[in-house]
Amino acid sequence: CAAPARKPDADASAASNHWSGRLALQIESPEPQSFFASFDLQGDVGQGELTLYTPLGSTLAQIRWDASTATLRDEHGTHAFASVDALLQQVTGTAIPVAALFQWLAGEPATVAGWQADLRQAGEGRLVASRLAPQPAATLRLVLDQ
Amino acid sequence: DGLKDLEDFMRATHSGRADFTQVVTAPSRDGQAGRTRTSSGIFAFERPGKFRFTYQKPFAQTIVADGQTLWLYDADLNQVTQRTQAQALGSTPAALLASAPDLAALRRDYQLDAAPDADGLQWVLATPRAREGQLQSVRVGFRGAQLAALDILDSFGQRSAIRFANFQTNAPLEADTFRFKPPAGADVLKQ
Repeated sequence: CAAPARKPDADASAASNHWSGRLALQIESPEPQSFFASFDLQGDVGQGELTLYTPLGSTLAQIRWDASTATLRDEHGTHAFASVDALLQQVTGTAIPVAALFQWLAGEPATVAGWQADLRQAGEGRLVASRLAPQPAATLRLVLDQ
Repeated sequence: DGLKDLEDFMRATHSGRADFTQVVTAPSRDGQAGRTRTSSGIFAFERPGKFRFTYQKPFAQTIVADGQTLWLYDADLNQVTQRTQAQALGSTPAALLASAPDLAALRRDYQLDAAPDADGLQWVLATPRAREGQLQSVRVGFRGAQLAALDILDSFGQRSAIRFANFQTNAPLEADTFRFKPPAGADVLKQ
């Protein structure tokens, strides 16, 4: 009989799609918006979890999504959305290209209308993605814990 | 007991400076212990309303409350975020403990109860009065009248254990300890 397929080490597979670090999102709307948080990100565009922390270490919010729904839990309770894109649009006020983000995190160039990603420092865990169009301009910066 | 130490600390400690280490433990999930992250740096404070966290490891981050504004500088992102202090103070127990003018001010935000001694410290359990705030509970540990530890449990079950060392009470602090000037070239964002 065939040797049992070796179950991939749960940690290794979890570690491969798990990122933690700090992110800053800046939106040049008439009333400029900015977000800054430490984060833990797991999973992929189809299913995953993003936890955001304050600089002093308490949890700000937890976002979970799968193919059919997305939920945001914060100090006020849990809110459901149709998708992670819809959730991020509501929370940040702008569209965040989640699928492209996972590719950029893996160091792969991904083209998204209006967005440009600078992956030159991906090796040092740094990523800058800017949206030039449509307005308002937005800049997402990530620094991954090394 | 812990409550007496807390009262002494709030009354007698006008300012202070200490090294700190902080271990943040994520909630355990389906049997697996949560990930932990350790950071360390220097904490300084002066009543009322001023404090500074200088995180040195694993990355450089500075948080300064100058009495009106709360500044956060992340060296890697070269970015400063700025917000009014009142807005942000609630969720930082260490800051509240250090910068609240007196025990009565603390009692407005937390219900305070003596807790059993542990790890050679006397403890107070501080339960936030804001029901749906970010925090579930804060345990404050004293070695005599000196603040030694903070165990913070947030509403997601994440634990943050802060331990202070080399605590200098009422030591003179440099004039600009609680002033923050954004470094040249850094992005300054208002939140």
